[in-house]
Amino acid sequence: MKKFILLLAISIWILPATLHAQCDTIASLCVKNLTAKYISDGQQYRALLLSKEVAEFNATFYGGTTYRLAACSGLKDGSLEFRVFDKQRNLLFTNIEHKNAPYWDFKFESTMDCIIEAQLIDPNVKSGCAVLLISFKK
Amino acid sequence: MYKPLRFFYTAVFFSAVSIAFWSCSGNTKSELEQEAEKLDSNKSNLININGTLFCIPSPLQTSMLLKQSGAKYNKTILNPAANISKYSTSVKKALNLGVYGADLGYVILYQQTQDALAYMSILKKLGDDVGISGAFDEALLKRFEKNLSVQDSLMAMSGEAFRNTDAFLKNNDRMDASALIVAGGWIESVYFISNYTSSASDKSKIIQRLGEQKSTLDNLIKMLTPYYQQEGYTEFIDALTDLASDFDQVEMKYTYVKPEHDEANKITTIKSTSSALVAPEVLTSIINKITKLRNSVTQ
Repeated sequence: MKKFILLLAISIWILPATLHAQCDTIASLCVKNLTAKYISDGQQYRALLLSKEVAEFNATFYGGTTYRLAACSGLKDGSLEFRVFDKQRNLLFTNIEHKNAPYWDFKFESTMDCIIEAQLIDPNVKSGCAVLLISFKK
Repeated sequence: MYKPLRFFYTAVFFSAVSIAFWSCSGNTKSELEQEAEKLDSNKSNLININGTLFCIPSPLQTSMLLKQSGAKYNKTILNPAANISKYSTSVKKALNLGVYGADLGYVILYQQTQDALAYMSILKKLGDDVGISGAFDEALLKRFEKNLSVQDSLMAMSGEAFRNTDAFLKNNDRMDASALIVAGGWIESVYFISNYTSSASDKSKIIQRLGEQKSTLDNLIKMLTPYYQQEGYTEFIDALTDLASDFDQVEMKYTYVKPEHDEANKITTIKSTSSALVAPEVLTSIINKITKLRNSVTQ
């Protein structure tokens, strides 16, 4: 029994490490979408998703700034749908209408609070790590 | 089989079973879940990670606005390097890692290269104390030193180091420390704004930016609330909540305008307009509270 509990504890310990490693790999690939012109906001946003789940990110974007949003999942580009809404839930952008682009630039004329939703595109993929990176142009 | 090896294989087996269980759990729905899906088949489930994920703007963006608004470099608003010896708790260390990070962005932007180097060294020391030495290591310091005259590179390196810090902390389930670093950076950046509301040549832009912090502050509080009961957090979150009560008096106006997409250049122009109206008495109260909060963090 003791051995069983110990093994279970080890497996519980290994599982998050495996998932974090998956997110890390995706993040390192996603970073390639941010070119030298862009400065990272200093954070790495990630969410573990099951097939139909949607991750929601609340963000403020400053007026007069151009941002680059990169959203990735899996090892191939275009595995993640991301949608940008304003606080009134008006859809501002979805990468589905732009060939599932893994990144997109946004020029904000005024400061805005936005909601970004991310969802796995392939319905056959049961789970995945969604990584969102935000950077801005100097 | 060699006993430790057998033990290892069994552990791997258990992990695989756990992963398989986790991966398949999307398919094993309870009757209640199936019913809920029938009722609302158009809506996807929203996943909440500690509520929702909150994206807090980089403090560097505030410094950029200050410079654009004609604000002059003022070293006295920065947290002095000597204060580092005052931070003995993990909460203070993490908060001031964020504070010094914002200071670093400010000095880089004003091309104060020697100060930038000094702040980078402080960040390395605090990073070591917080257990994130990998993000601010010797290699980064050398790269930083080598590029002191290239402002863009310094800003990129600083952003990258903080992103690596964030990733490291999240990998190690230290979301609380990650949130504190972000909070420290935010407090320092709004403290910068507070100091320039009367002296910069374009004050209206700066006051506007201060008012725009209303929802960022709300997001910050939501991000920190799960740790409210932890030692060192309660008083800090209470102070943020008190500040938020003043920000509640900031009037936000928003008008939706259809965005324009430029497929060829992969850019969308968001044309909606917004403004933050801050009454003079509200501005004074916000500035006083920010100053008090920032001093409590850095002292």
